[in-house]
Amino acid sequence: MKKAAWMLAAALALPTGLVQAETFEEVFNQQRALYGKGHEFTFEGKTYKTFHPEEVEAMAEPNQANAEALIKGAKALQAESAAVGYEWRDVSRYIQQAEAAVGEQQFQRAMDLAARAKYQARMSIAQHKEVEASWYRAVPE
Amino acid sequence: MKTLKTFVLGAGLAALSQLAQAADSGFTLETVDPEADRLALQQYYQKRFPGVPLEEYVNGIYAVDPASREQWDALMEFPPYEFDLEEGQVLFETPFANGKRYADCFDNGGIGIRQNYPYWNSEEGAVKTLEQEINQCREQNGEAPLKWKKGDIAKISAYMAWTSRDKPFDIKIPQDDPRALQAYLDGKKFFYAKRGQLNLSCANCHLDGSRILIRADLPGPTLGQPTHFPVVRSKWGEIGTLHRRYEGCHRDTRSVPLPPQSDEFRKLEYFQTYMSNGLVVNGPGARK
Repeated sequence: MKKAAWMLAAALALPTGLVQAETFEEVFNQQRALYGKGHEFTFEGKTYKTFHPEEVEAMAEPNQANAEALIKGAKALQAESAAVGYEWRDVSRYIQQAEAAVGEQQFQRAMDLAARAKYQARMSIAQHKEVEASWYRAVPE
Repeated sequence: MKTLKTFVLGAGLAALSQLAQAADSGFTLETVDPEADRLALQQYYQKRFPGVPLEEYVNGIYAVDPASREQWDALMEFPPYEFDLEEGQVLFETPFANGKRYADCFDNGGIGIRQNYPYWNSEEGAVKTLEQEINQCREQNGEAPLKWKKGDIAKISAYMAWTSRDKPFDIKIPQDDPRALQAYLDGKKFFYAKRGQLNLSCANCHLDGSRILIRADLPGPTLGQPTHFPVVRSKWGEIGTLHRRYEGCHRDTRSVPLPPQSDEFRKLEYFQTYMSNGLVVNGPGARK
């Protein structure tokens, strides 16, 4: 009886425990959703800010080389997401706008747009991976 | 130590039970069971909308939302697809330049066959849709193919659906060709997979979201959805094909949409129409 009770407790505790353990990504996303970008928060004793990696890239010196590097990175991820059939609608438009901004010597604008495109492309690839692992959970039984 | 072992054993059992649950849902070629999927979907809707007869689902949202039904009944006093239907018949019966007709390309002269589409073509190793074969017929007879989404192809398809009215859908998945089952599984996966910046799957709107407001719209149930296509949509102001709707839905998730009659959309149609097996053809239809 005691053994059965322990097994039941373990079975019940497992999913609950998984839900309670917050990863850095979960905390980051929660803080970002609540406070927007640039908000300071702590995780396991260390301080972080709610910037996406692409936004940090866009904080580099606004010049043609940096803008073009960000656009190149965005295009590479866009191609990767398109290859698996998960390209999002606005990525292409943001890249085109970023390229136009480079042509007009508006490098900060170009970097901001390219960062947005790169972020969306990265998220679309993450979405594909998540779907591959979990799509079946939505099927009624 | 004994307590720890017991705890680990219990946790292992819990994890295994989750895996077993996943396996039951049929998400691999070895475990997928189209008939079980179809019955599970019917049961889902019977629980979701108790009292709605299964055969009513061919009417989409109008089967499950009385207020929308009232407006639709009024609209259907003069069905908006009637002129398209007449034009479709004329197009269907008009000979090509070589003297042959659409009737020469299809079983039974193309009359009363809509309920068998889409089907698995083992020779080509592909899902074939009615619209695809309409265009193939044209090309085989020296005519230019029609555009996929609207216009003449939708009108011809509408006429062919009309000649099949009240015939139950009978989509088959040949057991002697595992590629057919794989195509069904791919279509099923597409239906349940989230896409686009809005992270939406077909199922989010047309399963969980059936009759739940998305802004001012009430998405219809997926059961019975392909039965009434092609449709005149009030939003379009004209008649259009199922794949036009697929493309629009896909774009609405903020994805780069696939083109009509793409391999993925044809597999989606295969899955979705199989789910409606037993329900009757009632195309063409009218929708918001």
